[in-house]
Amino acid sequence: MLKVKNLKAKVEEKEILKGVDLEIKRGEIQALLGPNGSGKSVLAQTISGNPKYKITKGEVFFLEKNITRLSPEKRVKLGIVSVWQTPPEIKGVKFSSLLEKISQKQTEAEKMDFSNFLERELNVGFSGGEKKISELLQVLALNPKLVIFDEIDSGLDIKKLQKVAKIIKKELVEKGVSILLITHWGQILEFLKPDWTSVMVDGKIICKAKDFRKVLKTINKYGYEKCKQCSAC
Amino acid sequence: MVMKNANSALLAKNANYLQIDHRVKNVMGSKEVIVLPSPAAWEKFAWTRKYFEEKPKEGYFIWVRKQPSAPLSTCVTIASKKVSQNLRNLAVIEKGIKAQANVVCNALENNLCGRHFAKGKLILKDGVSLEYNHLHKWGQKDFVSPDYDFVLGKNTKLIYNYKNLFPPENLNLKTTIFAGENSNCILNFVVNGQNSKIEIKDSVFLEGENSNSIVRLRLVGKKKSQISAISKIIARAPSRGHLDCQGLLVDKFSKISLAPELVCENNKAQITHEASIGRISEEQLTYLRMRGLSEKEAIDLIISGFLEK
Repeated sequence: MLKVKNLKAKVEEKEILKGVDLEIKRGEIQALLGPNGSGKSVLAQTISGNPKYKITKGEVFFLEKNITRLSPEKRVKLGIVSVWQTPPEIKGVKFSSLLEKISQKQTEAEKMDFSNFLERELNVGFSGGEKKISELLQVLALNPKLVIFDEIDSGLDIKKLQKVAKIIKKELVEKGVSILLITHWGQILEFLKPDWTSVMVDGKIICKAKDFRKVLKTINKYGYEKCKQCSAC
Repeated sequence: MVMKNANSALLAKNANYLQIDHRVKNVMGSKEVIVLPSPAAWEKFAWTRKYFEEKPKEGYFIWVRKQPSAPLSTCVTIASKKVSQNLRNLAVIEKGIKAQANVVCNALENNLCGRHFAKGKLILKDGVSLEYNHLHKWGQKDFVSPDYDFVLGKNTKLIYNYKNLFPPENLNLKTTIFAGENSNCILNFVVNGQNSKIEIKDSVFLEGENSNSIVRLRLVGKKKSQISAISKIIARAPSRGHLDCQGLLVDKFSKISLAPELVCENNKAQITHEASIGRISEEQLTYLRMRGLSEKEAIDLIISGFLEK
């Protein structure tokens, strides 16, 4: 479904992605771990078409189509949706106005008992947990084929994390949506059990393994740099 | 806050006063509300002359004598090429009445090169409460200059909503409020400048004890617009006032100048202001584009949010 080939990208002349290869199949859950600043979020944003990040080399394919130069809105139409780690506040714009614009169907918000969100300004004064729920509701409204979650688990206590994971499972995983989970503490992996787990260090994916527990164990014991040598790969 | 554009056709149909170009098409009063063309009011009611100052050629007179059962509405339209309207409007609302007025001034087409001058006076007698929704929709070649005075008696309340999402080539909007004792007024100006030269001057004179006022300006500058706004509160009595002026500059060829001005002539008055001019951030745009909106749709959504704020 998604194929990233030798992707290099820079922001303001600084190269962040230094040749990333990644493949996600239909209905697959992949986790991407890595230390702060390793390029995980840049990879998510580049796959989604954020014009801030300039692709200098490599290609991105989605459903066999080369989308390397496609605008972000066209990628959404194809089915790629990403959840922002820190979504910007947009004053005056009601959450419901955005949902109405992007959704063909009745909003999931009412169904999931988040209707109190609807009249609030988009992301304005939202707590960490509320931001994640807001992002998730937008994702569901967009009917995606691939969702990239950038640190969906940060700022959530265990109870909220469980709730979010339950929604992801029911509304996305069980419906065959592919998922790329970017995280650096890994707890959400226990709930969603990825098919593959990769590790990114300094703009490159250095390890890909089936068993996320082994990867986490290695990282905890030796740090990210040792991933290459671990027995999980 | 403000009526929707789609309602303007309906308003015109049911208007108490409807004028197209220079022709008065409809004058509909009731036993509670007297409606006349201004020249007829000048002849019939001598007391109106002190408000009109000079004999009017066109415009409307509305005298709300008793509590009306429905909102008041007027519609003044330009439908032909190169029409130059010169209106003198007067509305007088008697004591204790609670009313709503929906006022539409518009051009039916985009290229009529019309001129619309309006000088109006609204007299709110003691205890009146009025919500005045003023909707403008003009063509790109029109010249529009409304100049309205609101005289607020004791214990009155005014909510004035001016909304102009389709501005003319030139707009000079002047609004003056004389606020009496215990009066309360909220002014909301919403202007979406596109290819326009816009000058806004609003002044609130807090003349009565305990009068208070909040003025909000929301101005958008896009497509080579030049917008200048001078918003002023003059406190002459123990009173309170606040100016909240915000601009949003959308393109690099537009210019917005905001000048909030506070004049305090009474040491028991408290007047404050805030003003800012911002832009649409790349991050906000990208975020909305990553929700499937085109760049234009994203800009429009941010602008509409800003104007409703």
